[in-house]
Order: sequence, then C-alpha cells, then structure tokens
Amino acid sequence: MTLENAIPNFADWIFDALRFLPIFIVVFAAAGFFIGFLVSAVRRGPVEGFYAVAQVIGSAVVDILNTSIRRTLAMAMLAVQESIRRKVLVAFAVFVVVLLFAGWYLDVKSDNPGRLYLSFVLTSSNYLVLILALFLSTFSLPTDIKNRTIYTIVTKPVRGTEIILGRIIGFMTVGTAILVAMCLISYMFVVRGLNHEHQVDGEIQLTSTELSPDGSLQGLTTYDAHHRHTITMFDDVSGETDVVMGHHHAVEKVGDELVVGPPQGALAARVVRRGSLRFKDRSGKPGAGVNVGHEWAYRSYIEGGTLAAAVWTFDGMTADRYPDGFNLELNLRVFRTHKGNIEKGILGSITIRNPNTGARIRSSEPISFAAKEFSIDRQFIPRELKAIDSDGTVSDVDLFEDLTDQGQLEVWIQCSERGQYYGMAEPDVYVLENNGNFAINFMKGFIGIWLQMLMVTTFGVGFSTFLSGPVGMLATLSTIVVGLFRQFIIDLVSGTLEGGGPIEALIRVLTQANLQVDLDIGRFPTLVVKFLDARFLDALNVITVSLPDYAGFSTTEFVATGFNIEPSLLAMQVIRAFTYFVFVTIIGYFFLKTREVAA
Amino acid sequence: MSESMTADAPSEGQEETSASDVVVETRNLSKVYRDFWGRQKVNALKALDLEVKQGEIFGLLGPNGSGKSTTIKLLLGLLFPTSGQALVFNKDASDVSKNERIGYLPEESYLYKFLNASETLDFYGRLFDMPADVRRDRVNELISMVGLEGARRRQLKEYSKGMTRRVGLAQALINDPELILLDEPTTGLDPIGTREMKDLIIKLREQGKTVLMCSHLLADVQDVCDRIAILHRGELKELGRVDSLLKVREVTQLQAQGLSKEAEEEIRAIVAKDGGELLSMENPTTTLEELFLNIVTDSEARPGRRAPSDD
Repeated sequence: MTLENAIPNFADWIFDALRFLPIFIVVFAAAGFFIGFLVSAVRRGPVEGFYAVAQVIGSAVVDILNTSIRRTLAMAMLAVQESIRRKVLVAFAVFVVVLLFAGWYLDVKSDNPGRLYLSFVLTSSNYLVLILALFLSTFSLPTDIKNRTIYTIVTKPVRGTEIILGRIIGFMTVGTAILVAMCLISYMFVVRGLNHEHQVDGEIQLTSTELSPDGSLQGLTTYDAHHRHTITMFDDVSGETDVVMGHHHAVEKVGDELVVGPPQGALAARVVRRGSLRFKDRSGKPGAGVNVGHEWAYRSYIEGGTLAAAVWTFDGMTADRYPDGFNLELNLRVFRTHKGNIEKGILGSITIRNPNTGARIRSSEPISFAAKEFSIDRQFIPRELKAIDSDGTVSDVDLFEDLTDQGQLEVWIQCSERGQYYGMAEPDVYVLENNGNFAINFMKGFIGIWLQMLMVTTFGVGFSTFLSGPVGMLATLSTIVVGLFRQFIIDLVSGTLEGGGPIEALIRVLTQANLQVDLDIGRFPTLVVKFLDARFLDALNVITVSLPDYAGFSTTEFVATGFNIEPSLLAMQVIRAFTYFVFVTIIGYFFLKTREVAA
Repeated sequence: MSESMTADAPSEGQEETSASDVVVETRNLSKVYRDFWGRQKVNALKALDLEVKQGEIFGLLGPNGSGKSTTIKLLLGLLFPTSGQALVFNKDASDVSKNERIGYLPEESYLYKFLNASETLDFYGRLFDMPADVRRDRVNELISMVGLEGARRRQLKEYSKGMTRRVGLAQALINDPELILLDEPTTGLDPIGTREMKDLIIKLREQGKTVLMCSHLLADVQDVCDRIAILHRGELKELGRVDSLLKVREVTQLQAQGLSKEAEEEIRAIVAKDGGELLSMENPTTTLEELFLNIVTDSEARPGRRAPSDD
C-alpha cells in the first residue's frame, strides 16, 4: 500500500487541533460578523446595519437554544419521503446492475483479484453515493423555495437550524440505508467472487529446489478460476500452497485423500506496527536513498553490494507482545541495472540491530531473503537469533533481551547483489501484529464513504440555502473536485509544481515556452504577472485548505490492499467530518436566516 | 353616487382600543424590490400604517400589484421591510416565536403533493411540536371539519383544487391560531365552497380569533369583513368599517307603512317639520364593487397618497 502522507499520531493531532480550534472559532466568527456587517451596512447604513447584524446574531442564539428534536425529525422525515419520491432507489438499482455485469469488465486473470474486486466495489459505491448525495442535497431547498412550499414551513415556528439539520439528517438516513445495502451486497459479491475450489492434480512428489535443496514433497493443484498453485507438504498430513493471485490454500489429508481448503489471505486486514525509515548511503554514512529516475519520488532506492541500507526503527517491541518473535512484512520494489536471472528474486539481507550504540551486542547475523517484487513477502523473525559479538564470536541471543533497547529495535535491509537496487518507502516494511477481522475493516471502509457523504450532503444543503439548485450543485461539485485534487493545488501554490499561476501558464501556452525556462516577457511584466498569479494562488490556497480533503477520507486503498484501517485514522476522519458538518451548518443557517424566502 | 362620498367618509364605529388589543400593526411599512445590482425595481409598498384589532375580520383589498400580498408576506417574515416595522402580537415579524399563534393559508396551497391529507396535517402538527396524541385528535378533527374524511389517505397530487384548498385551510388551523392570515381564501372554490369558507371565517371571529384576509373578490370581502383597507400601487387609499364606508351620506331613505295617498302627499310636509312615525330612516348603501372602482379610477386620475378615514 502506498501511504504518501504518514498518519499522524492521534494524541499529537488532537492536541494541535484543540489548540487551533479556539483561534479558528474567533477568526471564523469575526470574519462572519465583518462580512455580515459589510453587506448590511451597504444596504442600510452603518448604524442600522450594525443593529441588524446584532439582532440576527441574538436571534440565532435563541433559535439554536429553541431547536426542537421533534421539528427537526419532522423535517428529516419529509426529506426522506421527498427522496423516495425523487426515486433515489434508482442509484441503488444502478449499483446492482453494475455488479451484475462486473464480470464483463473485471480482469479475471488479475494478479490480485481480491484487490481488484475490493477497489471496484468500494470505488463504485463511493462515487454513486456521492453523486446521490450531491443531487439530493442541492436541489431540495431551492425546489421548496421555487414551489413556495417553504411558505407553509417558515410561517410555522420552525427555526432555520431545524430546516437545515432536518434535511441533512433526512438525506443521510436515505444515503445510509442505501450505503448499508451496498455494503452488504458488495461484501457478498467479493466473498463469493473470490471463492473457488481446487483439487490435487496428480501425485505429490519429492522434489528438490534451490531454496530447499534437501528436497520436499511438492505437487500441483488443478487449474481452476484461471490459476493453479504449487503444493508443499510440511509432513504427511498437512501442507500449504504457494501464493498465487493474492491467496493460498491449506492442504490437509482427510481420510486417504489430500484436500485443498478454501482460499486464504485474499481478504486480509493486517494490523501493523509502523516504523520510521532512514537511509545509509553506499559508504554506510547517514544519507538519502537513490532516485532511479522515476518521476514519482515516493520510493527511494538502495544500491546492492554496498553498505547502503534502509533502516527502520520500531517502537514497542516487547516480549509480551511477540512471545515467539515477530512477522516482518516487506513490500520492496526492485530496480535492475542488469537482467541477471529474471526467474529469481534479487537477494538481500535483513539484520536486526540494537539502537543503543553502547550495547554489548549490536547486531544479529544477516537473515538472507529473495525480494518478491509486486507482492508482499513475509519473514518471520524468531525470538532466538544468532549474533556476532563485538569480538567477532557468534553466539545465540534473545531478540528482546539482547537486541532491543527500551522496546526499540532497528531493522536493516540491504541488497546483496551488485548493480541491483531495492526501492522502498516508509510504509513498505512493517511488523505484522495480527490479522484483523476483514468484515469489520470492510465496514470501516464504508464508514469512510459515509463520512464523505456527510460532507457532500452538508455542503450541498449549505450551498442550497443561498444558491439555486444547479448552481448549488456545481458549487458542491467544485468542493469535491478541489478536495480530490488538493495535493495538486497545494503543490502548485507551494511552487513544487513548475509553471506558475493561470496568467503565466497562459503566456507559456501562447508563447510555447516550456515549464522550465524563465518567462521571456521583460522584467516588469514578469513581476506583474508573478504578483497577480501569486495573489490568485493564495486565494486558491485558502479555499483549498478550508475545504475537506476528500482524497484523504478515502480508505479504499487500505481495504483493497488488506490493511486494517487504524482506529486513530478513523477517529481523525470522524472528527474532521463532524467539524465541517457543524461549521457549514452554522454558515447555512445564517444564509437562510438572512434570506427573503419570498423574494 | 357622489364621488366625494368615498373620500370624505366620516369615521364611525371607532372604538377605543388598548395596545394589547392590537394584533397586527404596521408602522411606516415600506418595501422596495431591488434587482441583483441593488437598483430599485418596484416600490411595492409605501409607508403603510395599519392596525388590526383582536377579534375582527380585516380585509386587504386592491387590484393586482397593489401590495396586498407584499403586506401579508412582510407580516409573516417571508419578506424583510425596506423601512418601517411590521409587528405581530407586538413582536417583530422576523421573530419565529410569533408563528406559534398564527395560521396562514397561502394564495395557492403550497403543500407537499407526495403526502396525503393525514400526513400533511401530521407533519405541520409536528412543526408546532405537538405531542402525538394531541396531533392525532387535531388531525381527525380538522379533516372532518373540512370534509375530507373520504380522501384522507389519497396523495394531494390527486386532489382537485377545491380539495387542496381545504387541506390548506386545515393546515392553517392546526395550531388553533389566534390570528389567521388568509391570502385569497375563496379562489378556486365553487359557490358552495365559497359559502362554507365565508361561514367558517365568521365562525372563527365568533371564537374570538382575528382574521386578516386579502382578496379580489369584493362580494366575499363585503360579506365577511368588519374593516377593510384598500391599497393601490402600494399606497393605502381607504381604511375603515365596511358599513360606514359603504354608506351614502347625502341621501336619506325613509320607510313607512299605513299611509294613505293623501298622507303620502302630506308626509313631505310632516317630515319637513319633524313628525310622523318613521319606521326606518337611513342612508342607502352602495356596493363595495362601486366603491372600489371609484377609488381605483380616482387614484389613477390623481396619483398620490391620500389620507384615509381614520377607522
């Protein structure tokens, strides 16, 4: 799984957030008051304008205090009935049809069908639900105003808060019902789609391979569901197949026959312990990894046959947690400068080191492995290891007693083959704590979608308090687009992406100047263009960072690649989404309150 | 009928009222519609001063575009005044809490067509925060009052205009309001429906409720209203009790019985000397239609605000 932005520590994050919140509230309130006053002053003059704003704020407090649950739920129920009348179930029908015909366009020979199926169901549910939320939330209030049905509502003792909250709750109820149905159907679709059976094909024979030169009992399964596995028997009664298409099977002797069990490992929810990564360069000094020429600088590379190493430091490594040792999972990339034996993985080594430089035993003996490209490789690091003393003698050591320092240990990965490179980013190597429950993780993925739906609905209803249906929809859509391209915009503003702002880009297009050359329009015009562009980008930046980061809310990748969605990540998302919900609702309330619904 | 009659109608039937009796009050209420750029489009209401007292049926009259609907919308808080004040129960029209005591029947029944009559009334009952049992009783009561028992489970989109109007009326009464604002209450009703609506309005007054209605249908207004205000082009042209407004003051009607032909001849002399048994002696009344047309014609010939009679 790629994780471009590290997940922050929840305690740090919430501390920062709570510290920032009061400042934000003050700025938000001051800005709101100022803008309200400005608009009011233009219409009525400064004194009356000030009085009007104060009156609106005063009645807002009364409205919020008098918000009734019964009225809010009545509005919510109306929104549900309205949604059903507007045939929202069509969205669900589309989803079912998409799933029915999924077999036509999903690659049956995919290397990792589990990942493919999961990405597919999660992504399609995500987009369908967001589109649904977009349409429901943005057209409802404007339609009421256009049809004047709002007249019979606002002439009742209904508060603006109830109108907005009722709508959000109503549409979320409909959306939630549809999302739950999608979640259940998707789950069945994925589980059934990945389920298949194999039989043992032919005989189990004694074979000798390079990795197990002493020979083992091996055989093949039948070719089903577009693949077959190699069986390796541990003893006469049990064995396991290799991993093909992201899963393996257990093999057991039942009676006289060997039976291949159901697929395992395709639907995982790994609970992992992540470490922090640093690099050693080819002379063994602290440094950075090598860029092998990929534009996407996510992974750095270490050169084989040198002292270059990637060093992960893990915390919390104690004997209580891992009584027998721990599972280390590696998802390394390989960059070959020469072909070598293409059938074979590039060899490397894992060394466990004590971070305490004064320790008696600094390092275990290297454990060699062959890198599996494009799939996750699991290495079990046992409790008992061989280590080299400072005087060079090899002895047996205990992982936790001798190689950890206050629960901290280092994992050094080096590439052994000269001229070949290993590529890695921090999330590529981790300690596997255990395998979480996939169904729960799948549900958590849908909670991420639900939170996105909440934000779209909130923004939709918020915009519809002062915009007409189609315009409100475009505005809400814009927030989604900005949210999905947030990183791009931030890169553009920060100058990470070359090419400048809109005016500079236009000049470059017209003069056919590429992005790297300086603007050739004279010194003064360049200054003007850069100044205007910078102001535009500043404004864009403010908008972008104020709007929700939809891409960051998507946890599809976690579920699809089989990683547990960490509770802290989920908690942060929930807090973020509800913060947007609260503030957008307040803004919407003021727009509705100060709007003449009969105008 | 003399033209001066309408203009010079004297104040009659004016009662001393305390401030607490005033249910609706507008002070210098004005509304200017502006376009997106803030440019003045229409001056819909010009400095309206009105008082509606508790227990009366007050009619707002005027041709299309005279500002009747604007006034009602300002009183409901659907529009905000450009200047002046609109007070309902002594509260500003933008105060939501005033709605607890108000019932409003809009010009057309703007209701949710996908709900049936019961659901509609139940929904509006919830908006008044009424508990479920109170709501159920009230819904049943209102549905039978407006005669929709047979159609209570049908969606409103299947309703005729008259039926929709009845549901609209029922929703306006769901909270047993003290003040009822009716925008064109009889439009779309057949003669029987119109009669029933008028009876109901009078019944509401008997229950001590205040009714503020606006209408084009002069006969209806004449039948039910205690007092009327006539608006034209946003200006108040006439305000007073219906009976006094319609009185033709320069003319006296005499009715007598048991007089011979000779006596009839004599009567002129007798009456001239103040004598004989007068069974009735009154001013004849004109129709509201005539009064209305006079005002409109006069106003168009001589634009400008005219001081209305004071009751």
